[in-house]
Order: sequence, then structure tokens, then C-alpha cells
Amino acid sequence: MNLILDLILRLAMWLLLAPLLPGIINKVKAWVAGRRGPPVLQLYYDLAKLWRKGVVMSTLASPGFIIGPAVGWVALLSAALLMPLGPAGSAVSFRGDVLLLIYLLALARFCTAWAAMETGSAFEGMGSAREVSYAVLTEAAIIAAVLSLIVHTSSVTLITMLAPSAGAGAALLAAGLFTVLLAENCRVPFDDPNTHLELTMIHEAMILDHSGPPLAAILHGASIKLLLFAVLLVQAVLPIGEMSPLAAAGVLAGGVLTVTVGVGLVESLLARLAFRRVPLLLTTAFLLCLFALLVAWKGGAK
Amino acid sequence: MTLGLPLFISFLALALSVAVGYRRPRTWLALTVTGTVAGLVAAVYVLLSGDRWEWQSDFLLGGEALRLRLDGLSALFLLLVAVVGGAGAVYSHEYWSDEHNPASAPRGRVWWSSLLLSMGLVLTVANGLHFLIAWELFALCGYFLITLDRRRSGVRAAGWLYLVASHAGTMCLFAFFGLLAAHTGSWELGPLRERGELAPLFWLALIGFGLKAGFFPLHIWLPSAHANAPSHVSAIMSGVAIKMGVYGILRFSGWLPVPAAAGWVVVSLGAVSALLGIAFAFAQNDFKRLLAYCSVENIGIIMIGVGIALLAVSHDDAPWGRLALAGALLHVWNHGAFKSLLFFGAGSVLHATGTRELSRLGGLARNMPWTAGLFALGILAVAGLPPLNGFVSEWLIYLGLFDVATGKGALAWIAMPAAVMLAMAGAIALASFAKAGAMIFLGAPRTQPAARAHECGYWMRGPMLGLAAVCGIIGLAPVLFWPAISEAVACWRPVWGLGEPPAPLAMLGSAQVTLAIIILAAAVWLWRKSRDNGLRRGLTWDCAYAVPTARMQYTSASFAGIVAGWFRWLMLPERTVHRPHGYFPASAIRLERVPETVLERVLAPVGNLVMHASHTALRLQHGRLQFYILYVVAGLIGIGLLVLWGGAQ
Amino acid sequence: MSGTLNLLIGLAMGLNLIALGSSRLPSLIRAMSLQGVLLGMMPLLMEHERLDWRVILVALATMAGKGVVIPTLLRRAMRAANIEREIQPFIGFVPSLLLGAGGTIAAVALARGLPLLPEHVGTLLVPGSLAAILTGFILLIGRAKAISQVCGYLILENGIYLFGLLLIHSTPLLVESGILLDVTVGVFIIGIIVDRIQRAFDSLDTRKLTTLRE
Repeated sequence: MNLILDLILRLAMWLLLAPLLPGIINKVKAWVAGRRGPPVLQLYYDLAKLWRKGVVMSTLASPGFIIGPAVGWVALLSAALLMPLGPAGSAVSFRGDVLLLIYLLALARFCTAWAAMETGSAFEGMGSAREVSYAVLTEAAIIAAVLSLIVHTSSVTLITMLAPSAGAGAALLAAGLFTVLLAENCRVPFDDPNTHLELTMIHEAMILDHSGPPLAAILHGASIKLLLFAVLLVQAVLPIGEMSPLAAAGVLAGGVLTVTVGVGLVESLLARLAFRRVPLLLTTAFLLCLFALLVAWKGGAK
Repeated sequence: MTLGLPLFISFLALALSVAVGYRRPRTWLALTVTGTVAGLVAAVYVLLSGDRWEWQSDFLLGGEALRLRLDGLSALFLLLVAVVGGAGAVYSHEYWSDEHNPASAPRGRVWWSSLLLSMGLVLTVANGLHFLIAWELFALCGYFLITLDRRRSGVRAAGWLYLVASHAGTMCLFAFFGLLAAHTGSWELGPLRERGELAPLFWLALIGFGLKAGFFPLHIWLPSAHANAPSHVSAIMSGVAIKMGVYGILRFSGWLPVPAAAGWVVVSLGAVSALLGIAFAFAQNDFKRLLAYCSVENIGIIMIGVGIALLAVSHDDAPWGRLALAGALLHVWNHGAFKSLLFFGAGSVLHATGTRELSRLGGLARNMPWTAGLFALGILAVAGLPPLNGFVSEWLIYLGLFDVATGKGALAWIAMPAAVMLAMAGAIALASFAKAGAMIFLGAPRTQPAARAHECGYWMRGPMLGLAAVCGIIGLAPVLFWPAISEAVACWRPVWGLGEPPAPLAMLGSAQVTLAIIILAAAVWLWRKSRDNGLRRGLTWDCAYAVPTARMQYTSASFAGIVAGWFRWLMLPERTVHRPHGYFPASAIRLERVPETVLERVLAPVGNLVMHASHTALRLQHGRLQFYILYVVAGLIGIGLLVLWGGAQ
Repeated sequence: MSGTLNLLIGLAMGLNLIALGSSRLPSLIRAMSLQGVLLGMMPLLMEHERLDWRVILVALATMAGKGVVIPTLLRRAMRAANIEREIQPFIGFVPSLLLGAGGTIAAVALARGLPLLPEHVGTLLVPGSLAAILTGFILLIGRAKAISQVCGYLILENGIYLFGLLLIHSTPLLVESGILLDVTVGVFIIGIIVDRIQRAFDSLDTRKLTTLRE
């Protein structure tokens, strides 16, 4: 009984809180630009509207066009359930679950790319090609970050990895993970979520032809992914797992809010990078995580 | 004798199938399937019971009595041979049938059974001399299978390259077995771990078996051979034959002592093979070549696991060695299953459209739903995505690498780069297969043959379904297979012994099952909801482009363009560009070809240099008698001078 | 005894030079056959204490073979091929003479440095044999016509035979006679071949025999 309650609460938190983040980001961007901007709950209204609408499917597409977003959403939600929430732990935890998390994110990426290519359009092809290519470098950065956490805590289970803070290399790890967050969630400077020019889109290009409930699944999944990365970043840097539950909840919420506002500020203040510079920035993220790994290495055993 | 019976039945059935294969396809199929099933039964029995089967003949073969031995490690590979061999036999019944290929189909059946027999022999002989005989037979059967369609020059060239590379490896193996026999005094093979002076022989075995396994840079024959062979042959070559090289390396690193640097070298080679192999795969525009290069990557992954295990042996039998080796052995099975599935799917596409070029395909999912679905499943497996089997074996190897890293010793300096390279290789693999799947099955057909494609028949679908089921079962219930893997690991290093899974395989298995169930439920639910809301079909919106054509879709070279650009220094692509001229350009051409770098940019120039030098030396061979006698006299005078000079000192 | 031996060997060495210098085939054949006869007499001189009917038989056979049989075969081949002269050899007549003379002197100098049995020390056996071998090689390399090359080969064989006389006590004479038989048969066959070459190429110039090269 306790387990089921825990599971329901956890699901509620992830499902219901996730769409808040893009709203906060848009509000921050509007405030910096001197506008009032859309309401913070805008994504909720959009999801509700999309859920009621019909679907227009390309004549070239097979059922994979709809199955893709479904599988992607399930993968992202499962990854979210694996992510520990401070002392509350995660729904499932075992040695090596960090790898399952990383590969679930890869599964989501694959499904999005597959559904995109179903339409037989050049835009989607372009977006998918860019997305899967840059993912090579972000995977390297993520593995380096994970390795630094593993070396620091001598454990391969997410709960134990994220419980203490990252120690001396926390700042480096934070910078690296923040850059990875921006890359994986298609934010400026890697991708502009507001652009619809074919030469500049990555994620937007992949979802160009989707509509109705599948689009709702994709957008919701993207917000879950953003929340996931924010929670990961906060827990990697701060020793949330070792605080009392109330303090942990507060610090976690505050941390996620800070990260979200940070993303909003970055989106407002930076311009999108030219595509040929993107690998450079991703390599920088990888190197930051690598240096965090070296600091954790030198930091002595635990 | 209980174990001897299925093995004897298997041998008899396969031998009979060689005899009848030429004229009777159905009898051949029945006999081959019987033979492989019997072999499967024997292998499963050995793996589950831990028994070992030995047999010695009364007659002498080449001066030595024929001794056969089936233990855990051999049984693991024998099982793979049986499964893929049987599946391929059924597949070839329709794919390479007598109606379509009257000249080569009869030969193909005979050589297929011979290949299965020779692989079984390689796995069971316990004598160095007979191992070499069986190895050579196995290589020859492979050659004849690859060159079944001898009329095409590409096939002949591929077969020739395969033969040359195979014999280069066999030459190293001759040296290896000869030196081994010289040092130990007999041709018998068995555990000899206490003889420390035999350690340097490992390098010979690594090169000899490595040329068959196909890791970088010994992979030069693999892409052309596997791309040009008939698809069921590519499946067994990629799925099983290259694992014979892995078997050789494992077998002799288990029985003989290895040098201290062995683990380091194997892990490095594995990591480099994994990353560079899949980078090459991504840049290919021929889907069978893509699959072949992907095999190089997967052999690299297996080598990483084997290397970690070798390192563990020299570092007080650390527990992470067992993890890594288990991952490598499971990956042997997994790769055999999903690569064969992918090659069967590729064969189905080739059978339907007649072309291997990705830029001539497209939109096949409509006419070939079964092939598309099963190929998609194979793609999920090869990219190592949950909830399928590829993820499980990569997970085990990653855990081994992570455990080495937590140890923070000198070994972590190789484990961490290997982990990063493995992650990058995984991401590139995902990209390559997204490309392959999308170019073949999604979108609109780019050419007429693609538009007219038809689905394959039941004989081709059945093996694909079987292999897909294998992928699914291993992915969803890996704990079931742990005893077998553990038996093979214990056979390799008896000190490690059997035991509980060192990793939470059970939890992973249940997580994958849950994931699979939820995925199915979500997919059905979303489809239902979309249909209830109203599903309308229309032209792809494509940002309101009015007249889209199939040629406007992204091509495979463009898809791979970004990553191929990063690896340009290695791939050295050849480019032919004719830019469009004028206001209404009539034509523009851009051709890009990625050569096999090690073969065409390293070995070929060296070969040309040797030929050039030989041609220069050819001038000495003019046929004039007087000069030949002059050479003799010069030689004699030279010897005389040497003797004088030696005598004077 | 060694005086007579040295005289004969000296004569043989002189015949070498005649062979090198002559451009006419009949004189070449005659020089070679005379050398063979001289060398055939040597076992009789060296073994004069223990003369045995076997030794006498072998010596007579050698003299007959090298002096009569082989020259006849060669002359017959020569007539069939219708040639009488060696025209334009590779190594000209004067250079080959000089080479031969130089080689003879070098052979004498070289022989001084070799360790020989005491009974052979004062004799010209080793220099003579080395000189004949060198002459044979010069003829083989330097001449273009097949018959000249055969004569060169026979002179080479004479030199080897001469060297073999050093071992006359240990080498059974059966071996020597066997070699003699081989040589005779060889020359017989060469006679047939020369005829064939003449018919095929209408000349005995061996420079034309280069098609079978690799």
C-alpha cells in the first residue's frame, strides 16, 4: 500500500509539475524583454487543447508516426521514475540504474527521430540528422559526468551517487551538466524553440508534422526531460540526499526554480550559435565534465 | 554416452545433408534443421549441467588420434552456430532458391552444411593439428559461400580479399600451433597455465584469430565480403563466423598464460574498433556495408569485455572481470541474434527491390510491414536500447568498466576512455540505424523498384520472427540465461566458479518487462485516442511546401554528413562535384565515396610499392643464358671472397 | 713424378688460352679434346705404383671419350648446323684471353694459400683446375653460339675432374667413370638439341632463346 501511494505521488509530481517549467522559462524571457508574456500555466492549457484535437497524418506515414511519440513518452517517464528525489529515493533502484536512465533517454531520442522520418519530409530529415549527430557529443559529456559521480562516490546506483554533493569538482560539474541540459532540451544556444526556419531548427523540425494527442505526448515528454535534467543537476551539486525530507524538498524546489530561471536568462541573453560552432560548445561541456572527473579522481577515495 | 548421441545425430544429419544438398532441397532442409536442433540440444545440456563431453577416435588423422571435447565455452558458441545455422537454412529455402538461382543454389546448400560441420569441428577439436585442418576447412567453406554469385566482379574481388586475409591469419595460427607443439612436446590442447614461457604466443593468436574476428585494423576484408555475399551467408558470417575468432582468442587466453600487457592492448583495440567501426558504418550508403561495419563495432565491444576479463586475471581475479566477461559472452549471443535478424531483413529488401543503395529505397514500410517491423526491432536491439537484449550485454560491460573506474588504480586509465568511447559508439550506432531504417522503410519511395516492392514469403519471415523472439526473450528475462553464461565463464577461468549473478540482472529483467508492457499499453492507448479524436490523412505539411517529391527527402549521405565531417581525417572520402551552372541548371552531380581506409590508403600503397620494386627487379630476369651463368659465377666468387675474408680474421 | 705432372698440367693451361683465343670452332673442339686426353693420362701417372687394371681401364676410357667420342659428336653437330666460326662474342677474344691469363696467375697465387696434403703441395693441380674452371666460365658467359658454350662447359668439367684428382685415393674411380658417362650422354643429347635449334631459329645464337623467361 505504501509503495502504491509512493508511486502515485511520484507520478503526480513528475506529470503535473513538469509542464510548469517551460512556462517559467517563457515568463522569464518575457520579463527580460519587457513584455508580459504568456501565463505560466500556458503549457497546461496547450496540452489540454491538443489532447482534444484530431490528428492529421501524412499519407506517407505508417502507424509508427503515432507509436513513436507514445514510446518516447513512456521512456521519458520511466527515466523520471528512476531519478531519485533526494531522501525520497526513486521508484526503482538497483546497481547500474544510471545506465538504464541514459539509455531510456536514448530510446526517447530514437523514437522522436523515427516518428519524424515517417513523414518523408526534408525538414524532418534535417532535424533528425542534427539531433542524432549532436547527441554523440552530449552522450560523451553525460558519461563523463556520470563517471565523475561514480568515482567520487564509488557507487553505480543513482541514489548513492547523487546523495552527497560532488565535492570539489561541483562547480565544473554544474557548468558541464548545465550545458548538457541546454543541449539535450534544445534550448539556446543550441536550438531556438521559437524558430521555424529550416536552416535553424533541430527539435522543432522533428515535430513539425505532428498534431493532436501525439504532439501533446511529445511536448509533455520534453517538459519531463527538462525537469529530469534540472533535478539531476541540482542533486549532483548539492547534498540533498543527506538533508531532512522537508529541507530537501525546499532545497530541491528552490534549486529547480533557479535552474529554470537560469535557462530563461540564458535564452534571453545569448544568441543561438551557428551550427558549425555547436560541436565546439559540446566538446567544451565534455571537457568540463572530464575535468570534474579528474578532480574527483584526485580528491581521494570515499 | 547421453551427450554423444545428439552430437552424433547432428554430425550424421549434417553429413547426409552435404551429400543430398545438391539435388534435393527439401530433404536438405529437413536434415540441416535436424542437425542444428540436435547440436542445440547438446549445447544446452552441456551449458546447464556443467558436464563435459570427450571422445577419442581409434583411427589416426595426420599421425594424431582425433580427440573431440565439448565444454561450457565451446557449447556457448555451438549454440549460436546451431540457432543461426538452422535459421539461415530455412531462410535460404526461399531467398536463394533453385528458381531464382539455378546455378548456385545447389552449391550453396552443400557449402552451407559443410560450413556448419566445419564450425562445429573447430569448436570441439582438442588437438592443434586438427584445429588447423578444421580452421582451414571453415575458411574455405566461407569463401565458397561468399562467392556463390560468381558472375559479379565485385563478389569475386570480395571473395579473393576474404581468402587472402583468412590465410594471412592462418599463417599466424600455423606459427602459433607449431610453437606451442614445439614447446610442450605434443599437439594436444588443454589448460597449460603454469607454463609461463608460452605467454608471448598470445600475440600470434591475437593476430591470427583477430584477422578472422575482424577488429580494427584487421577488418579490411569484412566490409566487402559481408556486403557482397548473399544475405543469409552475410548473416552467418557476421553473426557466427567472426565469433570463431573471438572463440579462439578466448579459448587460448583461458588455457595459456597471457602477457601482462595483453589486457591493455585488447581493451584499446576493442574501444578503437567500436568507435571507428561505427563511424565508418554511419558514412556508408550501402546498407549491407553499413551492417558489416557495425559488426566491427560489436566485435570491438566484445573485445572490451574480454580485455577487462584478462586484466582482472592479472589483478588478483577481481570480481569485475567476471561481469565484463559475462557481458562479452552474452553479447556474442546477442550480436549473433540481432545481426542475423538485420541481415535477413536486408536480404528481404534486396530480394524485393534488387538494390543495396540507400538512396534508391524509401517507403518500403507500406508494402513490407513485416520486414519493416522486424527490422525496427533489430534496430532497437543493435542500438542497445531497452527493453531488448543489446542493452543487457552492454549494461554488463559498462558495469565492469565502472567497477574498474571506482577502483581508481592504474587500470582506470584504460577503463574510463573505453567507457567514453563506448558511449559515443552507442550514440553513433543509434544514429546509423535511425538512418538505415528511415532511408529504407520510411517516407516515400525514391525509385520505381522501391515503389513496386513486395513482402517476403513465410520461409523468410519465419526465421526473422524466431530471431526477434530470441532478442526479446534475452532482453526481458536475462536471468534465465545467467546459468549458461556463468558456466562458460567458469570454463574459461575455473577459479571464478559459478555463482549468483554479480549484477542485479533480475531487477533489470523485471524493469525491462514492466517497460515493455507499459510501452505496448501506451502505444495502443495513444493510437485509440488519436483515432477517436479523428484521424485525417493528408499530404505532409512540410512547412506548406506545395509540390513535394520523393527526391526532396533527406539522403543517407546528408544524414551522415555532420558526423562524417568530424571523421574526415580518417575516412578520407573521395568526392566528385559538378556544380549547377546558369539560371536554369540542367544537372548537378555530387558523388561521394568512402573508401575502406586501411585497405585502400595504407595497404594498397604499400602493395604498389612492392609491385614497383618487383618490376624493377624483373629486369634481371631477361632469359639470356650467358647472364644467368654470370650470376652464378659472381655468386661463387662472392662466397669465395667471404670465405677468404672469414679465414683471414 | 711431379715434374711430368706439372708439365702436363702446364700444357693443359696453355690449351685453355688457345681455347679462349680461337674464333674457329674446329680449333676450339680440338683444344678441348686434347686437354681431355692429357687429363685422362693423369691417373696413370699419379698411381704408377699401384697400377691396377681398373685404373688403366678408366684412364683409357676417359681418353677415348674425351679425345674421340665427344669431339666427333660435336663436329657432327657443327656440320649439321653449318657453322664454322664464332662471330661477335660478348666478351671479345682479346679481353677473354687477358681474363684467362689473369685468372691463371691469380689461381697460382691463390693455391699457395690453400691447405693441401704434403704430396700435392708442389704440383700445379689446384691452379690448373681453377684456371680451367675459370676458362670454362668465360667461354660459357662470353660466347653466343651454343657449340662454343658446350665446349666451355666441357673445359669446366675438365677443371672439376682435375680438382677431383686430389682425392684420387678416396674417390672410387667408379664415380669418375660415372661422371664421364654422364658427360658423354649429355653431349650426345646436346648434339640433337643443337640440330633442333638450328632448324627452329635458323641460327645457333643463344640470344634468341629468351622467350621462356618467367
